[in-house]
Amino acid sequence: MQGKPGHFSKPSLNRPGFVLFTSHPDGETTINGWIEMETENQQREEKGTDVKNPKTDKESSDFTMKNLYGHMEDIQKAQQTLMARYHFSVRRQIYIGNVVVFLFAALIAVILILNNEQVQTRLEFLEFVNDFSSEIQQARRYEKNYFLYGTNLDDAIENIHLANLIFTKESETFSELQDQVTRQEILKKINAYEALLGELLQNQKADVPLPMNTPHASKEIETRLRGYGQDILASAQSMMTVEKRALERALKRSRDIHIYSIIVLLVILALNSYLLVGRIYSTLNRFASYAQRIASGDFRPILPKRKFRDEFTDLAVAINEMIKEIDTREAVLIQTHKMRAVGTLTAGVAHELNNPLNNIMLTVHMLMEDYHDMPDDERMEMLEDVIKETDRSRKIIRNLLDFARESSSAMESVDLEELLKGTVHLLENQIRLSGISIEIQFTDDLPRIHGDAQKLQQVFVNLLLNAIDASSKGQKIQVMGCLGEKGDSVKVNVVDYGHGIPKHILSSVFDPFFTTKPKGRGTGLGLSVSQGIVAKHGGTIKAKSDKGSGSCFTVILPVITFPEFESFHL
Amino acid sequence: MSNELKILLLDDEHIVGKRLKPALEKIGCSVEVFQDPLEAIKRIEEKEFDIVVTDIYMEGMDGMQVLEKVHAKCPKTKIIMITGYAMISLARDAMEKGAFDFIAKPFKPDDLRKIIAKAAEALGSPIDFSASGN
Ligand SMILES: Nc1ncnc2c1ncn2[C@@H]1O[C@H](COP(=O)(O)OP(=O)(O)OP(=O)(O)O)[C@@H](O)[C@H]1O
Ligand SMILES: [Mg+2]
Repeated sequence: MQGKPGHFSKPSLNRPGFVLFTSHPDGETTINGWIEMETENQQREEKGTDVKNPKTDKESSDFTMKNLYGHMEDIQKAQQTLMARYHFSVRRQIYIGNVVVFLFAALIAVILILNNEQVQTRLEFLEFVNDFSSEIQQARRYEKNYFLYGTNLDDAIENIHLANLIFTKESETFSELQDQVTRQEILKKINAYEALLGELLQNQKADVPLPMNTPHASKEIETRLRGYGQDILASAQSMMTVEKRALERALKRSRDIHIYSIIVLLVILALNSYLLVGRIYSTLNRFASYAQRIASGDFRPILPKRKFRDEFTDLAVAINEMIKEIDTREAVLIQTHKMRAVGTLTAGVAHELNNPLNNIMLTVHMLMEDYHDMPDDERMEMLEDVIKETDRSRKIIRNLLDFARESSSAMESVDLEELLKGTVHLLENQIRLSGISIEIQFTDDLPRIHGDAQKLQQVFVNLLLNAIDASSKGQKIQVMGCLGEKGDSVKVNVVDYGHGIPKHILSSVFDPFFTTKPKGRGTGLGLSVSQGIVAKHGGTIKAKSDKGSGSCFTVILPVITFPEFESFHL
Repeated sequence: MSNELKILLLDDEHIVGKRLKPALEKIGCSVEVFQDPLEAIKRIEEKEFDIVVTDIYMEGMDGMQVLEKVHAKCPKTKIIMITGYAMISLARDAMEKGAFDFIAKPFKPDDLRKIIAKAAEALGSPIDFSASGN
């Protein structure tokens, strides 16, 4: 990343109307580009599954805050883009996951049923081959008997006929399990066998002597019969072994399908829950961090980042709505409290205004009284006094009016020393009326910071008014500015030597509505409002105090409000 | 003129002294003008004034302290306080502490002349107010 913070911060420091906050991204492509990269990288680290959308990203750099308050338009725009995306809800993801699991299970079931069917047929086929071979064996036994004792020829014929029947009938059903050539061969052999037996029967009927009596002729038939019989049996046997092997394979396949389908199913389920949990968990985490940042006063809306919207988008929209509400309220609160401070300051201004007015009044009256007895240059001098005093009155009022004006709250480059001098000037009358003295010490060459001068002035007005309230006549207040410890911030201490803050309430002084002042004198909002403003600048405000020896309020403002550049995304 | 009223005028706005000095001298007073309360106090230690006109708010020392000092030095001296309009309650305090009167800024030269005339009367040496030229 070429845009190192150092390279980026220095030149922009002295530039008023810092580019990041302009609403025209084309104007300053380099810096906007840098931010895009920054958010993109950070986004990738945060969530791998997020899909990048260059268009919304470009829009998001438009959203980078221009002001501290009043993001109404940004929020409106964000709301619309958030809702305009394709809807892919968590519910839908759950449904899709379930449907995938169901479809897979159904597929496995079909495969298993088919496999089972196959096993079934093979079993039936084996049974048939078994039947067939036992018929053949029976036939051969009878045939042997016939040749030995001349009996059972009928039985042999019957058995072989039965075997033939079984074979022709069943082999039709299992035609796909046998190869046709072997089948034809077996059939041929059975027929031949049967035919030979038929011939023997013919001979018997024609009173041809029994085989054992006619060894020669029957010997030949016997050899042929044996040959056929053995062949048929061997074929049946080999058919049986082939089938047995096939059956074993089918059974193994069935077992494999069971095991693998369970594994695959587990993987699908795990993946589905991983995706789902990842989606929900990481988004919830992100919302938690958003909530924290909102609590710390960062009221920028959540911007669209993903390509789709879901239930969390509804939540984001609701949060944006809430931010809008809080933002408005806080702006109102700040303004209200400012008007209170203006009220306090007005008393001082009214008093201070009496001096120039009195001077004018006296001068003009004396001029009128002595007009004719006066040399010209004295008249001129008196008129010049009137002009000077009028000018002085104008300055006294303008300071207060500048402060009271409802500001447009623009971010600009701010010189804190100048700002504090102006603030002290604004409070001068107040300080004088209270008989307190004030000192400002700033170290040289402090970097300018980036902020909303009006709001920051309000912070210091609040701190100084508190210090004035705490101090009594003759005491002093010190305002000291220096570089922060790491050199990336500016530190301003407002020190008073007044009554201090007791330990047990020190932790609550920043709470809204916490006040020790009598009703009507303090609202208890000063420090709370100030903290809000400082937080928006990415800074901190701290209090140190010992009862009796005064207090020190420290405001630390970053030279560049870096954390502000990370946007909320969903 | 031996019965000339001796007035000390103390206000940290220099124009007040610059304009009021001739205005009061016109009605026959001798006026010494001070901007710094400490110098004024020093002068009060040295010289007795008939009337002291002092602003309530000043850097360094306020009118109340001046009032106490003057009372301690010379209880006869009449003290007139100049106040801002917003500080009427403080002026009342001053009255309780023995100030002769108070006048709120902004005022006309004649307003002060009237009060000074009243004080002169109280001191037993009335002045001719009409000498102011009106
Ligand atoms: N410099 C200080 N010295 C002593 N106490 C302080 C100082 N600053 C703040 N406090 C305490 O903190 C409380 C809260 O201050 P905060 O400015 O929030 O409200 P407040 O001053 O009471 O009301 P408001 O600012 O509306 O006038 C004060 O009431 C006071 O008790
Ligand atoms: Mg306060």
